[in-house]
Amino acid sequence: MRQGESVLQRRISLGEMLDTDSFTEVVKGFVELYRVGIKVFDEKGAKLADIKIGNGDFCGYVFSFPEGRRRCTATVGRVKDGPLALSHGARLPVLEPDLVPQAKGMLTVPCFTGLRYLVVPILWEGDTMGRVVFGPFMPDDLKDFPPRTLTEISEGFDVTNARPLVDKVRLAPEGTIARVMVHFGQLLQTMLFGGQKMFLTSQLHIEATLDSNRELEERNKKLEEANNHLKELDRLKSAFLATVSHELRTPLTSIIGYSEMLAEGLAGPLNGEQVDYVRTIMEKGETLLKLISSILDISQIEAGKVRLNFEPMDALELINGSLSSLRPQVQKKGVALEAKMPAKMPLVTGDRDRLRQVIVNLLTNAVKFTPRGGRVAVTLTEIQQQPDLNALGYRILVEDSGVGIPADQFDKIFNSFYQVDSSSTREYGGAGLGLAIVKSFVEGHGGVVRVASEIGHGSRFTLVLPVAPSSLQQVLITPPVTSVGPADDRF
Amino acid sequence: MQLNHAQRELTVKIVYYGPGLSGKTTNLQMVHQRTSPEVRGRLLTVETHDDRTLFFDLLPVFFSTANGFKVKVKLFTVPGQVIHNATRRIVLQGADAVAFIADSRRAAGQENNAYWKNLVENMKENNLDPAQVPIIIQYNKRDLPDTKTDAEIEETRKKGKEPVVGAIAIRGIGVLETLYTVLQSAYRSLEARAHLAKTIGLTEKEFLSQVFANMDITGTELEKLLPPRPAGART
Repeated sequence: MRQGESVLQRRISLGEMLDTDSFTEVVKGFVELYRVGIKVFDEKGAKLADIKIGNGDFCGYVFSFPEGRRRCTATVGRVKDGPLALSHGARLPVLEPDLVPQAKGMLTVPCFTGLRYLVVPILWEGDTMGRVVFGPFMPDDLKDFPPRTLTEISEGFDVTNARPLVDKVRLAPEGTIARVMVHFGQLLQTMLFGGQKMFLTSQLHIEATLDSNRELEERNKKLEEANNHLKELDRLKSAFLATVSHELRTPLTSIIGYSEMLAEGLAGPLNGEQVDYVRTIMEKGETLLKLISSILDISQIEAGKVRLNFEPMDALELINGSLSSLRPQVQKKGVALEAKMPAKMPLVTGDRDRLRQVIVNLLTNAVKFTPRGGRVAVTLTEIQQQPDLNALGYRILVEDSGVGIPADQFDKIFNSFYQVDSSSTREYGGAGLGLAIVKSFVEGHGGVVRVASEIGHGSRFTLVLPVAPSSLQQVLITPPVTSVGPADDRF
Repeated sequence: MQLNHAQRELTVKIVYYGPGLSGKTTNLQMVHQRTSPEVRGRLLTVETHDDRTLFFDLLPVFFSTANGFKVKVKLFTVPGQVIHNATRRIVLQGADAVAFIADSRRAAGQENNAYWKNLVENMKENNLDPAQVPIIIQYNKRDLPDTKTDAEIEETRKKGKEPVVGAIAIRGIGVLETLYTVLQSAYRSLEARAHLAKTIGLTEKEFLSQVFANMDITGTELEKLLPPRPAGART
């Protein structure tokens, strides 16, 4: 809901429509050109411009007498604040006929000194916004100067002194001054129009910008709420997966255990066919158990429940151990498995079991996606400075000559449940969790994992691991979600 | 509506709304042309370099009632381009009635609908109840090819309660009729809420005839609706 009243909803004042400095310049130019003073007031009587010319000395002289001061103040009050009507001493100006329609509302206000003022309302869209006062000027129709109203202010009033002073005041027919005034009025209308346009548009520009901002903020808030809701759902999903995996694993362990006992003949001898069947139940049961375990792993990672236990470990032993557990699969699939390692290597720090899981996952993938007759290789480098980590570290490379991964999928393969081929008829099984687990565990060690691949020619996964994780305490690892958050406040 | 009893002043706000290039500014220009300068302000328009309205157009028309109440009718247009939605919302604030200017070409139907929805949303944002702020529809550009037939427009009219006026604004056709209809709707809604006839003695008849008294209604339907103007009135 938008709030606040727009500038379009209120009346704007003369002062808002006119730029005071440039308006004063215009008035000054006018005054100098026509040698008549101009005062401009808004409807509340505030002065917007006041340029005097010629009358200062004469008026000053009159003002020096107490009665002159009183009468002068009354006259100035009349022109400034008096009604814009034919009352309180005001009369219609003497105009040439062609000027009558344009001089609508114009008043003549005589001064007791014989000088005169012309007053005209400033009309804008039917409203009186203020007034312009012209004068005083010396009307050319004034027969006898000084009039009695002037001489009577004091016995000390000296006509010979006043005469040269009043000669400095512009002498002109009332009609001429009225014409100048009409001209000034037209100019003022143009300035008001331009000023109004400028004022309204700049104000509206500000209002529109603020309102757009408000709208954006409201939208952001809604998005944030939606985002929080999704995060909560995600957390619930992880918790659900953890529970379900655990509940699945318990009976499955029994299935595998009892099958094993049957196969071992603990419940009496079985014939060959029966043994085959029972072994198939066992194998499938174990495949299922692995799958459930990785679901449990990822759900625990996502729920933020996995802690890494860092301790000194031998990287050579880590690779050898992983290779030996892969051996049966490798033989079955018929691919060559090679390993390149330094002969000796100092101990490093890490979570042995988790890193073993990482390497086994990568090797399992490599074997899975490499056709019979292909090649899988694992390489362990010596310890040296690693620019990726800006620390001492080592690399483990797992390469294969398999089907490869399209370059545009490099980022996505580390997401939970993602598979390059997600069609229901896909050739390779699995839940799509292996690499997500790999990335979480490696990053938990302060390392990085990278992939390079060429379709049809194989893939290479590179793990860069530090000799010792920067935090030697147990670390709680977070889900492998690539989040784009704002940078931390700098100040 | 802004009713100032102290200053004896009533301000009525009419907003011309609709898609970009449907003819909102043209409507105002035509009203401006046909109104005598003594009773209107200048037409304030702010355009971009390609003649598209940037903020709004504003044309004030004013008169005094027989009771000496000053009445100002402020006609606004909104900018039609999609990006200026915040400006549209601001201009719509406090509107007493809306003239929705639709392009009658068939191809424009989707745009008309989109801006209609936008109008409804922005009215809601401004707390303007459609039951109290009447909308009238002008089907503009009746002379262009691919325009909807009268029968089709009649169909559209039946779908809602809004009065519908046909127009070729660029030639001044239907412009004053639209203004008349929107002002009449505005008056009736204000009368229902604020009882203008009772509180300030302004009847619908006086309101409408005063607004149009200083407009050139020659050749428009309004000649039949309004009393003949007194001799000597300017046209």
